[in-house]
Amino acid sequence: MKIERKTIFRLMLILPFLFGTLAINAQSDHTGKSAATRTYAITNASIVQSPGAVMEGGTIVVKNGLISAVGKNVSIPDDAQVLDGTGMYVYAGFIDGMSNVGTKRPKAMERPSNLFTPDPPNDYAGITPERHVVDQIDVASSTIGDLRKAGFTIAHTVPYGRMLPGSGALIFLADKDHPDDIILAENVAMFSQFVGAPGAYPGNILGIMAKWRNIYRNADNSMQHTMMYAENPSGLTRPNRDRTLEAFFPVVAGQKPVYFNTQNMLDVRRAMRLQNDLGFKIAVGNIKQGWELADELKQKGAQVYLSMDLPDAPKPSKSEDKSEEVIALEARRMDFYKKYVSQAATYQAAGVQFGFSTMGTRGNKVKTHMMTMIENGLNADDALAALTTSPAALLGIDKVAGTAEVGKLGNLVVTTGPYFEKKSQVRYVFVDGDKYDYEIKDDKKKGAEVTDEPAADTSNEPLLGSWTYNFTTPQGDQGGKMIIKKEGDLYSGVMTSDDGSPDTDMEDISFRDGTLSFSFSVDGGGQTIEILVTGTVTGKSYDAQASVEAFNVSFELSATKDDGR
Amino acid sequence: MQAQTAKGDVLIKNGTVLTITDGTQENTDVLIQKGKITKVGKGLRTPNGVTEVDATGKFVMPGILDAHSHIAGSAINEGTSQVTAEVSMEDVVNPLDVGIYRALAGGVTTIHLMHGSANVIGGQNETMKLRYGSTNPDDLRFEGAPRTIKFALGENPTRGGRSRGIQPQSRMGVEAMLRNSFSDAKVYRTKWNAYNANKSTRKVAPEYDLRMETLVDILEGEVLVHCHSYRADEIYMLMKVFSDFGIPKLTFQHANEAYKVAPELAAFGASASVFADWWAYKLEVYYSTAYNAAILTKNGVTTSINSDSGELVRHLFHEAAKTQKYGDLTDNEALALITLNPAKQLGIDNRVGSIETGKDGDIAIFDAHPLSTYAIPQMTFIDGVKYFDRANDKNDQRLYINPEETIQEVMIFDRESQHRCMEDAQTLSFSDLFSNKK
Amino acid sequence: MKKLLTIIFAIALLPMLSTAQEDDKVMKARGGKFALTNAKIYTVTNGIIENGTIIINNGLIEAVGANISIPADAEVFDYEGREIYPGMVDSGTQLGIKEIGSIAEAQDSREFGQITPQMQALSAINPNSVAIPVTRVSGVTTVLTAPTGGILPGTAATVNLFGYTPDQMFAGNKAMIMNFPSTARRGRRRRPQSPEDAKKAMEKALKTVNDTWDKAELYAKIQGSDEARFYPEMEALAKVVNGELALYIEANAAKDIQNAIAWVAERGYKNVVLTGVAEGWRVADEIAAAGLPVIAGPVQSLPTRQSDRYDLAYANPGAMAKAGVKVAIRTGDTENSRNLPYHAGFAAAYGMGREEALKAITINAAEIMGISDQIGSIEVGKKANIFVSTGDPFETSTKILDVYIDGYKIPMTSRQIRLYDEFLNRTPGVEKTNPAIDIKKK
Repeated sequence: MKIERKTIFRLMLILPFLFGTLAINAQSDHTGKSAATRTYAITNASIVQSPGAVMEGGTIVVKNGLISAVGKNVSIPDDAQVLDGTGMYVYAGFIDGMSNVGTKRPKAMERPSNLFTPDPPNDYAGITPERHVVDQIDVASSTIGDLRKAGFTIAHTVPYGRMLPGSGALIFLADKDHPDDIILAENVAMFSQFVGAPGAYPGNILGIMAKWRNIYRNADNSMQHTMMYAENPSGLTRPNRDRTLEAFFPVVAGQKPVYFNTQNMLDVRRAMRLQNDLGFKIAVGNIKQGWELADELKQKGAQVYLSMDLPDAPKPSKSEDKSEEVIALEARRMDFYKKYVSQAATYQAAGVQFGFSTMGTRGNKVKTHMMTMIENGLNADDALAALTTSPAALLGIDKVAGTAEVGKLGNLVVTTGPYFEKKSQVRYVFVDGDKYDYEIKDDKKKGAEVTDEPAADTSNEPLLGSWTYNFTTPQGDQGGKMIIKKEGDLYSGVMTSDDGSPDTDMEDISFRDGTLSFSFSVDGGGQTIEILVTGTVTGKSYDAQASVEAFNVSFELSATKDDGR
Repeated sequence: MQAQTAKGDVLIKNGTVLTITDGTQENTDVLIQKGKITKVGKGLRTPNGVTEVDATGKFVMPGILDAHSHIAGSAINEGTSQVTAEVSMEDVVNPLDVGIYRALAGGVTTIHLMHGSANVIGGQNETMKLRYGSTNPDDLRFEGAPRTIKFALGENPTRGGRSRGIQPQSRMGVEAMLRNSFSDAKVYRTKWNAYNANKSTRKVAPEYDLRMETLVDILEGEVLVHCHSYRADEIYMLMKVFSDFGIPKLTFQHANEAYKVAPELAAFGASASVFADWWAYKLEVYYSTAYNAAILTKNGVTTSINSDSGELVRHLFHEAAKTQKYGDLTDNEALALITLNPAKQLGIDNRVGSIETGKDGDIAIFDAHPLSTYAIPQMTFIDGVKYFDRANDKNDQRLYINPEETIQEVMIFDRESQHRCMEDAQTLSFSDLFSNKK
Repeated sequence: MKKLLTIIFAIALLPMLSTAQEDDKVMKARGGKFALTNAKIYTVTNGIIENGTIIINNGLIEAVGANISIPADAEVFDYEGREIYPGMVDSGTQLGIKEIGSIAEAQDSREFGQITPQMQALSAINPNSVAIPVTRVSGVTTVLTAPTGGILPGTAATVNLFGYTPDQMFAGNKAMIMNFPSTARRGRRRRPQSPEDAKKAMEKALKTVNDTWDKAELYAKIQGSDEARFYPEMEALAKVVNGELALYIEANAAKDIQNAIAWVAERGYKNVVLTGVAEGWRVADEIAAAGLPVIAGPVQSLPTRQSDRYDLAYANPGAMAKAGVKVAIRTGDTENSRNLPYHAGFAAAYGMGREEALKAITINAAEIMGISDQIGSIEVGKKANIFVSTGDPFETSTKILDVYIDGYKIPMTSRQIRLYDEFLNRTPGVEKTNPAIDIKKK
């Protein structure tokens, strides 16, 4: 057929527009990064559908965000990308019970100029249970990818803050453009910690415990009043609106649990004490020193999330003739190390259903710590349960997550061998049906084992050099540079001041697992005051808290790496 | 949440028993069964299965009480407000403090863990027995002990006020704050009494305030007040405030100048818990005298000697003995300062403070008379259970160990840092901290 | 029985004590020729004289013995069987340069800066400090008053606790104080420090110290020349380099003590004393081998390590003495230097023994401070620094009846005693109608 010249000319005019308007439908991706399909089939793999239920030589199909088929003879859809799973192991994606993943610490609130310390505004004091973690979610946060690389697909992320930062949410550890895209469920639980207000009431654990009880009791009364008024307002005084109290109504009504962040054994006991006094549903997270508390927690029906973080193994001194005292002290210290690393095994033995909390743990340490726990008595099936089925049940998402079964969310982690073997590595992670690839490293770290701190690690380099820091103090901001060097094995550093004050040495610098801490001293009115700084380095930024222990005050410090290094 | 604590049986034989209430009895036995003293006498028969302790040549006294202590506490001051009656030391008990064991090694069995002295009206205190070894704070409670609360007068609260830019900044302000707080409590009480008396089903509760609740309890006499104070005028002032508000029981803590108003204290019926000889560390204690305890005792004021220090607590018997140098108290008078008298001040003298049948089996055994500088505590019992034995105990008494710590961590003793009364309460002047001073 | 006797004596002496201050009469010390008779004399260096006499004249002990002829013009004090000891010496205090701890204006013990060796404690001593009479009526007659603060806080001085100017008080010894760089923590515990970090911190601090002393040694050589600059800090340190001034090094952790010993050997300074030595018992043999004397204390302290046995601080002086170290005991206190005998008493009870403990607060202290020709024991020719007691000064039931310093009979009064006298039986007492005692029932 002869195409008229006129028509061609018209087509040529239209086509550019067509291509132009195609951008609105965005099927084109000039980076080439979008996946070609949302259907995947992993063939001939060992599929661990749930702890202890292994299907050898199986195929699993993920389609449109769900697991659409699992079996030995499964028909593979036409649009599927087929991944050869020979020798690989497929597990349900891991679930983190409590952490700050995917959030960015908000800027600290400025101290009001006329602050009345006995009765500060609630938001300054950190009493904001009505807030939601959604407001803090940073989809670009590297913590998401970091944790996903360790095999986690869903996390219960909780907000940064002080005593009552707000409610957490369940999020997918996916790379998306908008927070809404990664939220699985909101308002799952209220989050609380034993962190006091900065230089105002409640300043420490004493005030926090009392304030907690006071808020709760008033919330209870207010709820009664509100319900009574809603039923029949006639003659009743109008209930005062109070967002803090209202945020507690579902907790008082027993519908919403409270998740506590704990630092030590006494914190766990204090959280349980509050629960005992007031009667709400409780989850205790980040438990580090809980080996004596398993039975009690079980009895109280508390939800339990053990800390994924473990202490470094103590290194006994190598000297030839150790005194009796040194031998005894090292033995006791090792004894205690064992208690920490066998804590999970203790809970397993006590029959407590528990999950893990990755708060304070870097993604690249998860495997190491899990292996240590296995070496110290936790059996692999129970470990897997603590990563999958148990948190799914505790968080109420067991209908959609926690196992590799048909109908559940397409959340999987695929490893090059059984996960609980030292050498195996993560190859793929599927989050919400999308595939993430990971490079398999070749025995590079064979000599210095995975458990050790990589000696000449790329993570060191980002630390060295010059940073521009900023302190947010009630008196205004204070800035300058942090210059960090390394001499042999030891870090040294200096802080300069923009206001011309002399340089201060950074002391006790320690950088482990992405956490940088150091201290420095200032002369404050005749006495030397020590300030401890600790925080996380993510890429080129450093977010930390500087605390002045003697005065029970802390404030924010943030720093950015100066480019050119 | 009452934990079941251990109760033991033991027969302490043939010691010189310093009963406090019934003189000194030589070659006498003390029998403790199920944690209580059941018999005190000569030549007692050992019941079946009961351990014997040979106290021949040794001195047996009631376990010592420290009426002012800050050991075993994770925090000491909620110093951000001047009135914090709602907080309580029971929430911050730290059973892991090795200082507890060290106090046991000084013959101490009961301590009064107090809130700090940064606030005019501080937090509630916790009376505890030093049952070292458990990691459950509840195991250290002194079951049934009356509630007590900490007040503070003088330089500590006024300094806090000055640095935070709030009241009180003077002793006048301290009095005003006390009166205001009690008056507020009366208003609160009236509101709630009206609510409770209201028979209607459609009634709305007034605001609940744990602080006010506690202040009301103080007005009702249900909480014993222990007030940190130094100067004679402020001690006198508090008695007037208490008499105005109808609160009859009061113990002054430290009270370095209490001797100047000893007659008033005796007439009111207030008691004092003092240092043996600390002075001059602040202006308000510059005019102290080490004869304080003796003057008070001789004027009929129930007096105890306390430590307010994790170091001093270990030799309270020696501190008490100083009252023989400064004021010639008799042996029994001196010993009562660390046994029966603090027990009275804490409202637990029906349970401890002397060796009498029916009281708790809390005992300290010494190798010489406890008022001698050379006396070395040998064993300490609580509820008939042995918690300290010099001859048999191991050196390292820590309960929890941080595996990341070096084993050679050295801490040089600093007397000032033992004085935890102002801990957590100091305020930071940011301008000092960050100004370009250098 | 002994206790009963001491109580009887105490009661008998009550009138003596409480009328020490007569109304409106000012009590002053007085010098003269005194004969102290009928006493059990603990000479410390020459044993115990059961029933002896001491003759004091011109500030010195003129005679001491069992059968001494008493000069006709001597004022006689018959002590009826009581005990006499050399005045106690507290070799570590801030008495006189610190009045009220919490008030900056009332404290002169600490100057600004890390290297301030030329600061003189002696001239800053307030001879009228309220704490001085409070201390001396308990039998402590001589103290070392030392500056505190940075690495080299200043020059300490030994003073007798009587005199109206610092020079009248000066007892003849000064010492350079040095705080050896420390790996230990002071005060409340913070984050645990890794051994590598601690070592690095120590090396850095030690470098500052070494640089300073290198300079001082150079200065000692060149200071005579006309060209030499005036460098007061180095001038002060040069005295140590030249052996004119003793060096007291404060080191408490075992590692610090070892480092200090090595440092001293390296530098070769003479007349060095280690002070503090809280963990001295751990390295006692090394201290003994180095021939360094120590000033230990406070004895009533907590152990240095959480894992330590609870009584190690009490046993520390005894353990060092047993290893052959010469030990003096200090309180490290200011207003309660009067408790020196009790620190010594605890040391005695926990292994040192009474005799050694008594030496630790008398002759040892004097010898270490280089003034044992003047004080520290009861010998002819020494200063009359002595006290009279009803018994063992380590026991709290013992009363101190009289104190002599520099041969002056000291008025047995202090503000604390005067307050006792005024308030034991206050006039008026409580008034019958007093609002404070009338509890209103509401």
